[in-house]
Amino acid sequence: MSLGEPARQVRLWPRFIVFALIIALVVATLGLRLFTLQVVSGGYYAGLARENRIRLQPVRAPRGLIFDRTGRQLVDNVATFAVKARPADMPLSQRPAVIERLATLLDISAADITEALDRAAANRFDLANVARGVPEEIALIIREEHLELPGVEVIVEPQREYPYGGLVAHILGFTGAVTPDDLARVGSLGYLHDDTIGKQGVEATFEEVLRGDYGVEQIEVDARGEAIRLLRTLQPAEPGNSLELSIDVDIQRDAETALRWAMDRIGLEQGVIMAMNPQTGEVLAMVSLPSYDNNLFARGISTADYQALLDAPGAPLRNHAIVDHVPPGSTYKLVAGAGGLQDGILTDRTILQTRAYLSIGSTKYWDWNRQGFGPLNIYDGFGRSSDTFFFQIAGELGIDRLAHWGSQFGFGQRTGIDLPGEVPGILPTNDWKMSLMNEPIYPGEVYQAGIGQGYNSFPPIQVLNAFAALANGGRLLKPQIVRRILGPNGEVVDEIEPQLIRQLPFDADVLRTMRRAARRVVTIRQTYNLVDLPIVVAGKTGTAEFGVRDAKGRLPYHSWFAGFVPKDPWKKDSDPNGVEAVSRTDSELAVLAFAYDSRTTGNAATEIVKYFLQLHYDLDVDLRQDWILERDNFYGQ
Amino acid sequence: MGTMRVQPARAGALGARPSSGTWSHFDLQLALYALALAVIGLLMAYTSSGGTPLEAGSIFTRGLMWLAIAIVMFTVAATIDYRWLKTLAWPVYLVNLGLLVLTLATGSGVGGVSRWVTIGPVQFQFSELAKILMAVVLANYLAGRQGQLKSLATTLGAFLLVLPALALVLVQPDLGTSLVFGAIVFGSLFLSGAGLRWLLLAAAGVLAMVPVAWAYILEDYQKRRLISFLDPSADPQNSGYQLIQSQIAVGSGGLFGKGLTNGSQTQLDYLPVSATDFVAATLAEELGFVGGVVLLLLFAMLLWRILVVGWRARDPFGSAFAAAIASMLLFQLMVNFGMVLGMMPVTGIPLPFVTHGGASLTSYAIGLGILQSVAMRQGRPDW
Repeated sequence: MSLGEPARQVRLWPRFIVFALIIALVVATLGLRLFTLQVVSGGYYAGLARENRIRLQPVRAPRGLIFDRTGRQLVDNVATFAVKARPADMPLSQRPAVIERLATLLDISAADITEALDRAAANRFDLANVARGVPEEIALIIREEHLELPGVEVIVEPQREYPYGGLVAHILGFTGAVTPDDLARVGSLGYLHDDTIGKQGVEATFEEVLRGDYGVEQIEVDARGEAIRLLRTLQPAEPGNSLELSIDVDIQRDAETALRWAMDRIGLEQGVIMAMNPQTGEVLAMVSLPSYDNNLFARGISTADYQALLDAPGAPLRNHAIVDHVPPGSTYKLVAGAGGLQDGILTDRTILQTRAYLSIGSTKYWDWNRQGFGPLNIYDGFGRSSDTFFFQIAGELGIDRLAHWGSQFGFGQRTGIDLPGEVPGILPTNDWKMSLMNEPIYPGEVYQAGIGQGYNSFPPIQVLNAFAALANGGRLLKPQIVRRILGPNGEVVDEIEPQLIRQLPFDADVLRTMRRAARRVVTIRQTYNLVDLPIVVAGKTGTAEFGVRDAKGRLPYHSWFAGFVPKDPWKKDSDPNGVEAVSRTDSELAVLAFAYDSRTTGNAATEIVKYFLQLHYDLDVDLRQDWILERDNFYGQ
Repeated sequence: MGTMRVQPARAGALGARPSSGTWSHFDLQLALYALALAVIGLLMAYTSSGGTPLEAGSIFTRGLMWLAIAIVMFTVAATIDYRWLKTLAWPVYLVNLGLLVLTLATGSGVGGVSRWVTIGPVQFQFSELAKILMAVVLANYLAGRQGQLKSLATTLGAFLLVLPALALVLVQPDLGTSLVFGAIVFGSLFLSGAGLRWLLLAAAGVLAMVPVAWAYILEDYQKRRLISFLDPSADPQNSGYQLIQSQIAVGSGGLFGKGLTNGSQTQLDYLPVSATDFVAATLAEELGFVGGVVLLLLFAMLLWRILVVGWRARDPFGSAFAAAIASMLLFQLMVNFGMVLGMMPVTGIPLPFVTHGGASLTSYAIGLGILQSVAMRQGRPDW
């Protein structure tokens, strides 16, 4: 203490010392902390700072295209505007205002936007999809208002456009925004939270092929995550490969025209028509009506539109060719016939007596014409589709042997077609019924099974595939939608070979007999004037009852026709009945039509196939007959 | 003047002091440390100007303007005899409260707070000036309580005097600045010789207020800041964000820093409010540990000089005023720098002289000016 200080201060000097010590303490503490952060942990924080501004950014690969077998492009990648949001960049206080403004601009509900943001809540730094396919003027407004819309980004991204729309919608399917479920399934494959993924059709089954490999680049970003510059590309994006389908758009269109004509004429809710090359298993046409516009999904379908599609009659979103269980009806007589011949229950010379009905106990099992056809061999039994004829064969075979032959033809198993959602069907056996209902199959049910009724139910693709195997002489092939994988420059990367499911264990003459019997179906005019076409057609009709009896005790029914056309289909004078033609195994066209709940005077499916063949072979004749398509719950074959 | 130099201290007659002050008693160190800090602040404004520091309206040019104004105000305040303030203390108090009420009534701010009053082209934060005015009023009060300093009444009176201003700032809401008022009271009472037991009792009372404040006074965002201070990773994108990014900025600066305008944290906007509340982080990032230590030493020496002025003041007003200025300066340094280093929760308290902002700089300039006025008029021996 110096003498110069006021006496008052001298008294207070300990307090000044304490205060000075506090200053020293504060400064020392701050200095020590500074030392710890900067000198001791400086390297660690320098690393954090680098990571802060260097971000790895995925580079999307252009998705592969899809072509039909003639090279027509079935899908386009078009640049569209997508509105996305990074929840982490959207302050909570501004969130309601941002959501409300977006809802107004995009004309979608605030609830949908909130849901989209919340879905991404676990990954607040990732972009979440708000809307895709946004009109340019709206996108520009959102960009201009970016100061009022923090965390919202407008991004140009490719979107699928399907120029053929509903014509091939069930085959192509569509892409859509990944869902949390998708991510859980494929997350390890580098999918982004705002990614798109194939949802249906070949877009889904060939997702890995089409998607390509995303690249990675290192960018420098500022605190808002906005890219300042590209530092380097760690891994370039590899474009996806393209698909060449076995589908021929011309055949597809002919098939759709034929089916649509009959459906409109009758007033049907749903129907299926398919064409396949029996030599390769390639599906040439697959039409399930009603269809839908897959562009709606590619653009991001609204909840209302989606609900409308779910509620629409005929279930347009379902590919009835592969996802429905339906009774095959008399088309299934192929199994009983071929199985009976192979097991020696009958030969092609055996005559069976057909009657009005067969009795088991007090129950009568009627033939469809209610009077029987008298004595018939296999050709006429199949040709007339006599029920009592096949009751007898089925009875001899028994349910398990019948099921054995059914499963040889591929019934009750997924064909493995390269489309999602295929069902296996139901092929009844004793074991199956025991496990399900704890009782064996009754003899009457064996009869039912022999004519494709009762428990038997399969997706239409199995019926077509069985007839394709009949047509090619016994090779059961996997139906294929995609025949080639093409590289980005159109080079063939992979040729998808026909895949044999099994060689059917039938003698060649058994199958030849059944092909001739199928020709007999046509020549004895069971299919009316189909025989008058200038080409040779063989096949089998079916009338499959289902559902609940009406007031007159009648059941509604579906119509089937499954058959094939020999390679050189034109009728020859040397072979007036086409028997030689169908004896061959060179058919390149198997065809199936299925009219759901048809209830027509005649077999509607036959008419559909007839019209399709007229269109496909560009025939000069038009043998369509309107009376066949009258609604008249007749009791069919 | 010459006679005063040789006069023995114990004989220092009060009447011998010239009212215009003695410029030879001007505390040059005090002014230089403060100026150095303000120049560092200008550097930080320069580096935070985003590449266009010389453009009209950039924070660098505005910083220059404010520094010029501050120097003028400092000189004016030093020139005027501080003893006029004793006469004017009560009007000053009323003006002080009036300004704070005005702020509440017409003020604007970010996110529903009212902190700034717009006068013509400039926005001014009167709570900064209020701190200095409060120091004047408090010093005057304590100077008038000589002989009763140890009484409960003195301590109570000081707190009551500050309470209205503190409350008006608190409801803006500005928790940080209202705490500065608390520091002013405690500091000036302590160094003026108030009863220690009353001070301890007051401190206990403040601590007891904490739960009450938590329940009734603090806004949600303030609570979030406090929580995120305790655990920044709990909410790394919002309130914890600044703390984390600030520590990254400081730590990545290392020993010598990344160089002026080269701080990636600052320049890429990771560090929010890098020229104002978090200016120390910018400095630490770009100028490193060396720069940070220089800054701390400048503050330490400035504080030391303020204490010296207070110690030497014969007039109890001078001591109390110096104590008040030192307290608020120390408190702001501790809270602001502590926040930047992740040791204190996020509050909006500026770093005196360095933080870009006219109100803080000019207010402190006035405060130091008054302090100079005190130093120049104590007639102390000059050794």
